Amino acid sequence: MIKYLLKRLLHGLVSVVIVIAVVMMLVYALIPRYRIFAKDPLYNKTQANERAVYEQQAYESYGYVDYVPYAEWLAELAANGEIDEETRSKAVQFGRKPSKDSDIAKEYVEKFKDYYESQGYTVVRLNYDSKTKQRQVYYATKDIPLIVRLGRYFTNLIQVDNVHYVEDTTGEKLENTGIRFTLYDPLYNDNGESKKVFSPAIIGNGTEHKYLLYFDDEFPYIHQNLISLHLGLSYSVNKDIDIFNTLSDRQDPNREVTVTFPTGLTEESPRDLHSATYVQGSRDSLLLYSDRFTDDYTNVTMYKKNMSKTGFSFVIGLISVAMSYLLGVPLGILMARRKNTWVDSLGTVYVIFIIAVPSLAYIFLFRELGGMMGLPKSFDLQLDSKLMYVLPVVSLALPSIANLMKWIRRYMIDQQNSDYVKFARSGGLSENEIFRKHILKNAIIPIVHGIPGSILGSLVGAIITESIYRVPGAGYLLTTAINAYDNGVIVGLTLFYSLLSVLSLILGDILMSVIDPRISFTEKAR
Amino acid sequence: MVHENERIDLSDLQMSDEELFAPYDHSVVESERITAPRYSYWKSVFRVFFRKRINIVILALLGLVLIFTYIYPFFSNYDVLENSLNSESKNLTPTEAIRMFGFDLKWILGTGKLGQSTFDAMWNGARISVSLAFVCAAINMTVGVIIGAIWGFSKKVDLIMTEVNNIVGNVPYVLVIAVLVLIFTGSFWTLVFAMTVTGWIGIAYFIRTQVIIIRDREYNLASRCLGTSIFRIALRNILPFMTSVIVTLLATELPSYISYEVFMSYIGIGITDMSLGRLIQDAVSSISVPGQGIQFWSPTAVAAIIAVVLYVVGQNLGDASDPKTHR
Repeated sequence: MIKYLLKRLLHGLVSVVIVIAVVMMLVYALIPRYRIFAKDPLYNKTQANERAVYEQQAYESYGYVDYVPYAEWLAELAANGEIDEETRSKAVQFGRKPSKDSDIAKEYVEKFKDYYESQGYTVVRLNYDSKTKQRQVYYATKDIPLIVRLGRYFTNLIQVDNVHYVEDTTGEKLENTGIRFTLYDPLYNDNGESKKVFSPAIIGNGTEHKYLLYFDDEFPYIHQNLISLHLGLSYSVNKDIDIFNTLSDRQDPNREVTVTFPTGLTEESPRDLHSATYVQGSRDSLLLYSDRFTDDYTNVTMYKKNMSKTGFSFVIGLISVAMSYLLGVPLGILMARRKNTWVDSLGTVYVIFIIAVPSLAYIFLFRELGGMMGLPKSFDLQLDSKLMYVLPVVSLALPSIANLMKWIRRYMIDQQNSDYVKFARSGGLSENEIFRKHILKNAIIPIVHGIPGSILGSLVGAIITESIYRVPGAGYLLTTAINAYDNGVIVGLTLFYSLLSVLSLILGDILMSVIDPRISFTEKAR
Repeated sequence: MVHENERIDLSDLQMSDEELFAPYDHSVVESERITAPRYSYWKSVFRVFFRKRINIVILALLGLVLIFTYIYPFFSNYDVLENSLNSESKNLTPTEAIRMFGFDLKWILGTGKLGQSTFDAMWNGARISVSLAFVCAAINMTVGVIIGAIWGFSKKVDLIMTEVNNIVGNVPYVLVIAVLVLIFTGSFWTLVFAMTVTGWIGIAYFIRTQVIIIRDREYNLASRCLGTSIFRIALRNILPFMTSVIVTLLATELPSYISYEVFMSYIGIGITDMSLGRLIQDAVSSISVPGQGIQFWSPTAVAAIIAVVLYVVGQNLGDASDPKTHR
């Protein structure tokens, strides 16, 4: 069984990789790359040489090209000891146009060109722009092939924080790097005081995050910063934030709590010290930081009042899933038992209505009807009323109730003519017993298969429902990203969606084999 | 016919033994004839279909909707900008519009943002949406059924196609359409292409499952033993068996394209023509303005009516095309 499931999982993961490749081909190869600037306000303020550099930098950060400015190349040569500092500073001063280069600059400009052109780069030199008075620029750029990009995407997907992080990214050597384990989280214990609050934590020095593992009072109570996921960087939807964080971070407004900073200063502040990450030299740069922190782990996120986007979608989705199974299954059974009566016809009319009428239409209809009954018609985070959840939940549940009714009725009616039902009836069982103990148990199996899918599916969110009720959920992200040509977000979301769908199919199979012992996935039984 | 327990005394018949026991002429041709009433499949389908009174009503409704969708726009000469210079003609309620322009079918639903007739705009949009649904359904059903039949039959094809289905099923449909619309602009045929380029695979998968269920039945086994090619078995033995399934599927597919077109327009990546979806999207803002709600609700209601009518006709036709109902 486990072997079979692992095989399925592996198979699913391979499909996911191919899906990502297909999506990358769609968004990177078919959509012109300059479209990423479509919603970028900064881009339109740049012009001439500045714009060329801005474009290349953006392309590099979004994985389109490898971009090497001339100065960066020289700095690297100097760091490797191939040239001395004096040569570097002279070589970096290249002229406004090639004829004005100094001898040493000319030599290195030539070397740069030879080196990168031999590696398939395009070397670009833009002269001093007299109209806009912009400096001359010189750089090499090369398109990254799709396959390389795919490889990089998956190798960067999961990043594990390590003690060499600070040294590798900033070059600064910290003292006492390492990881230590404590049973008494310093945040809850005044340093050295006798009052001890038991709260285990793993704290790193030299790592990106200060707290690698800790407990707090927010669900799920244990948190980690050791492993981080990088699904894809956003360009316009939520600029420079990874889509994984866009989905999972809590939302505004800030929530203030009493915080005791490492220096002992205590104040009401929204700063979540557990989220501290390293920023080189930050403690000395601002008085605000030096008053509060004892090291350079100063970059913290804020405590927020509201759930994350996925949180909102999940809560609404989960309630509506529960509601649809609790209502849809009994109603479907009722329709099957009262076949060809008015109950059945009424149910059929409802099912037809939901299947045929565009979802947009009936959601608006129910929104208006709900509004007439005095329910809030859109989400308002300022209000604490739980009533605003009613209409989105109902709107989401309506189609799934219809769907469940349709299939439960179909399966039960199909089962009614089976031999085992006739046998049970001839054995003298009451209709009630036959329905409850025999037919339902068989008819429910295909329905059970869909349960994990609908639960995991609520993480994704619902596009129309969320946009009509203005729920700050995750559903609209994909369409927003598509409309804004935010490729990183599109790829990241697709990965998220396809992983969920692979998982839900496997979980559905497991659940089905738990419910029905006749179903087995072992090789022998099949 | 003589009943078992009735006894007939032969002497009552007043016949001689020769007459009673004369040999009956044996004809090879006659003995092969099956004395059953003549049965024509499609005749029976329509007989069963029209037996239900409600079907006649719904079919009449479908006819009316199609007349308004395809014939009415020829006579209405709809022009969005016809009243655009008349600032008093904008956003009128039905009564105001009729008072202003006199009674005409055109004005019974009032006017829109540019002073255009909501009624005409609605049917013009319906023409685009319904055509889109018909064309997409025709392409997807044809391709889907043929490929699904082959998919269900060949184990090799099954292996490959199941993988293809897993992959295509996970690429967001919205993304495929959006990318294609972006490349080719949102014309009618781009949308047809976008909705059919991967749309057939779901239908093919459904048909494949149906084919697998009946492929190994005895009559097909016999056919294979007699040397019938797999292609012919798929075409002659299995497709007719599935007519009712296919018609039922068509009934769910047609409204789903209308629904999908509305959805695509609503999220802003659909067709550029003023289809029903675009009309609904444009009117979303007027939903809460008193007196203007009709601009939103009329195209919405028409989309719903068209979809329901197509669905019910299709479902009942599907029921009627199941030979088990032909008694």
